[in-house]
Amino acid sequence: MEGFLPWQWCILWYAISLPVIIYGIIRIMKVADELPESKPLLAVSGAFIFILSSLKMPSVTGSCSHPTGNGLGAILFGPWITTVMAAIVLIFQALLLAHGGLTTLGANTFSMGIIGPIFAWLTYKGSIKLNLPISIAVFLAAFLGDIMTYVTTSFQLALAFPTPNLIAAASKFMLIFAYTQVPLGVAEGLLTIVVFENILKLKPDITEKLNLLIRKPTSTR
Amino acid sequence: MNISTDFYAHHNKLNRIPPMVKLSWGILTMLFSLLSPSPIIPIIVAVVMSFIIVLIAGIPSRYYLKFISVPFTFGFLTLVLMALFFGVKPSSVGFYWFRVYLDGLHTGFLAFSRIIGGFTCLAFLSLTTPVNEIFKQLEKIKMPRIIIEIALLMYRMIFIFLEEASTMYNAQETRLGYNSIRSSIKSLGLLASNLFIRSWLQGERVYQAMETRCYNGEIPTMKIHETDNKWIILVIAFEITLIIGVYFTRTIKII
Repeated sequence: MEGFLPWQWCILWYAISLPVIIYGIIRIMKVADELPESKPLLAVSGAFIFILSSLKMPSVTGSCSHPTGNGLGAILFGPWITTVMAAIVLIFQALLLAHGGLTTLGANTFSMGIIGPIFAWLTYKGSIKLNLPISIAVFLAAFLGDIMTYVTTSFQLALAFPTPNLIAAASKFMLIFAYTQVPLGVAEGLLTIVVFENILKLKPDITEKLNLLIRKPTSTR
Repeated sequence: MNISTDFYAHHNKLNRIPPMVKLSWGILTMLFSLLSPSPIIPIIVAVVMSFIIVLIAGIPSRYYLKFISVPFTFGFLTLVLMALFFGVKPSSVGFYWFRVYLDGLHTGFLAFSRIIGGFTCLAFLSLTTPVNEIFKQLEKIKMPRIIIEIALLMYRMIFIFLEEASTMYNAQETRLGYNSIRSSIKSLGLLASNLFIRSWLQGERVYQAMETRCYNGEIPTMKIHETDNKWIILVIAFEITLIIGVYFTRTIKII
């Protein structure tokens, strides 16, 4: 929420998020150099994340619950590109729908664009390694990505308003989010399974292109 | 979901002011409202910005109130929750087992005033400056062109998506697709995956069409802007007044 975080925290979260965003931008520049047609695809996926995460549910205390869409983004593109996408999506949400805000952009990018996707991506990769069925891997990734986003947000809020102390404040914020976010996370997990399986079933070539998107820059190194 | 913000951003009376001026005005004012340790400056900012948006930029007040109502409600809920749960100094005011905390009320009110101050600045930006002009300004701070390009393509896609999504949603709803929780998840999943696939294909087609028409990463548009100087002076004067205001009100408490 605009204006909710004191300015010191805004600066801190910007400082933490910025290097990751810059790294993501470098990745995107490399990919776009090699495959110019990836640009519209990135744009489409970004717009898709925007639509998903605009389904805002009323929650309280200076933030709000909504599906993050970052599970899908992280599975499809890997965490770094998703970070840049999430940052752009958050700017659009602030400007178009008065969700989030510009001063809190750093903090929001950190929770929704960095921690969420990283956890989603690690969960996905880990579950695949453990030979779990792909639908369960996708569900866990989307669910955990979602939950971790809000755990991070709770800590961010608690760090800014540590009354009576950090842990107590964080658990209070988490409790408030939990009412809306756990069911929402489950719903997003299920939704992501359906989306993912449909994409695999109907347009398997998309995922091949996506694999190219992720692997190209690493193979040239 | 209805995005008429875009419409007003293109049709308002401040359209001819250079976007850089509007951008720096909005963001600087937002920063000073956030920096202020007293709730007075954020409230003054909220009043001044609302005045500019409705009376000078000519945004219909009904639309403006609707746009600002959601953040205001959140701000108010924050105030209530902070007062009831986040504090250590209980006051005599309360009901049942709830007690209003004095320090909670104080931080809550400060947060509330900063939220309304920040959001009116944000509303000023988004209702008077089109998104593509804002992103073009980012080029001046060395944002790589490719990112701006992707962002603007994304912006275009959002509107295409919304239209397709609402068509699909209506089609599903008339066929009882959202009858129960189970079918809702299935329908929403079908909608989302179809939307992804369709817009993916559309994205590829749009790009091919643009490539064949000499697209080189930029969509040139013509824009007539008034000369800068008087606006720049106005912005500087306003922000200096604001800094002085922040300094002199720093110890004043309302609640």
